[in-house]
Amino acid sequence: MDPGSNLDTLMARYQAGDFAAATALVERIGPQLHRFFLAQFSSRADADDLLQETWLRIHRVRHTYRPGEPVLPWFYAIARRVRIDHYRRASRTTARERSLEELPNVAAPFPRGDGEVDDLEALLAPLSESQREVIRMMKVAGMSLEEVARATSCSVGSVKQKVHRAYKSLREKMSVMGLKKGPSGGLP
Amino acid sequence: MKDEEVDEVLEKASRVAHEVEPALLERVAHSIHASLRPVRPLPPTWVLTGGLVLICAAVALAGAARTGFHGIAKLGLLERVLIFSTLGILAWVAGKEFVGELIPGSRHRVRPGVLLIIVSVALLGVFALLFRNYRTEHFISAGIACLLTGLLLAIPAAFLSWWLLRRGFAVNSVSAGLVGGALAGLCGVTMLELHCVNFEALHVLVWHTAVVPVSAAAGALLGWALRSRRKLA
Repeated sequence: MDPGSNLDTLMARYQAGDFAAATALVERIGPQLHRFFLAQFSSRADADDLLQETWLRIHRVRHTYRPGEPVLPWFYAIARRVRIDHYRRASRTTARERSLEELPNVAAPFPRGDGEVDDLEALLAPLSESQREVIRMMKVAGMSLEEVARATSCSVGSVKQKVHRAYKSLREKMSVMGLKKGPSGGLP
Repeated sequence: MKDEEVDEVLEKASRVAHEVEPALLERVAHSIHASLRPVRPLPPTWVLTGGLVLICAAVALAGAARTGFHGIAKLGLLERVLIFSTLGILAWVAGKEFVGELIPGSRHRVRPGVLLIIVSVALLGVFALLFRNYRTEHFISAGIACLLTGLLLAIPAAFLSWWLLRRGFAVNSVSAGLVGGALAGLCGVTMLELHCVNFEALHVLVWHTAVVPVSAAAGALLGWALRSRRKLA
């Protein structure tokens, strides 16, 4: 497999039934999606299950990707759906079902210290979930504003607003903490 | 602290590699291997949107052919052009959004709720502009008859639209149901404009326009029920 193969070419080959392309996509997109799930649920077992469930769903609806369209928003839109379904199932078992279309708009507890949270998640902890999601997609997956808007079924304006608010919170937080940029850009 | 500095810190933090067990990725790849066969991608959005608009037009015409083209016969040229061109544009916009709801990662220009408001306000605006007879006779009974006729016609339109997009995947079934219901409701309104001879302003404004939100609400409810069933499964 040519490592330079771009994602839409791989996707087209996957749709044509090419196993090598499917494997290459799993290897390239899998870790990103795993990190996406791990950031929300913090349990590696949950993230593993969700990754497998997402790929089964991706496989079942792979014909809905149209060549020429951006690939990452397509993957993330499906992953997001799986994550919301899982969240709903989980919240039903613990407490009365919360009415949501979006994930809770509250800040996560600051660094969880279970060894599963990386520097980025520690930095993003003071933000609301919708802001964290947007920043993760842009920084980890390298998606543009337009692609994030597609993945989250929002308008570009709405994504811009979330990014603006997230940066404002981060600026304030980092200034208060006197954060210095270390070698890994992590927390002091 | 400046945005560029925040950006730099985030960039550095996000560059940390995320390790996933190779065995997990291997398991995922093997799980899809058994059923891996070529699939045909969905057609472009404009083809599917065109199909939806044609379905709505055909269903509305079939409905009016059955009940009679009395309404359009009594409308003047300007009224015909304004009403049916507005309905056509709204059906195209709603159809395009409906296609987007059934294809993951599609571009959404408006949220489903906003689309419903735009469609309803546009219809109210055109009807308010054209119909100036403010008398009301049999407001409730005649109105409910029209509302039910429009909604009954929305059912086959919704079913055929779903059939056309049956290979799609709704990321959010409630939103998809709402937009699909609004499109089917527009089909019902089109049929009413072809058939209904009651040109009282309040009748048209209230009962004809109401077909769209009621149909959209029914679609959203259906989407919610489907999602609940999927969750239980």
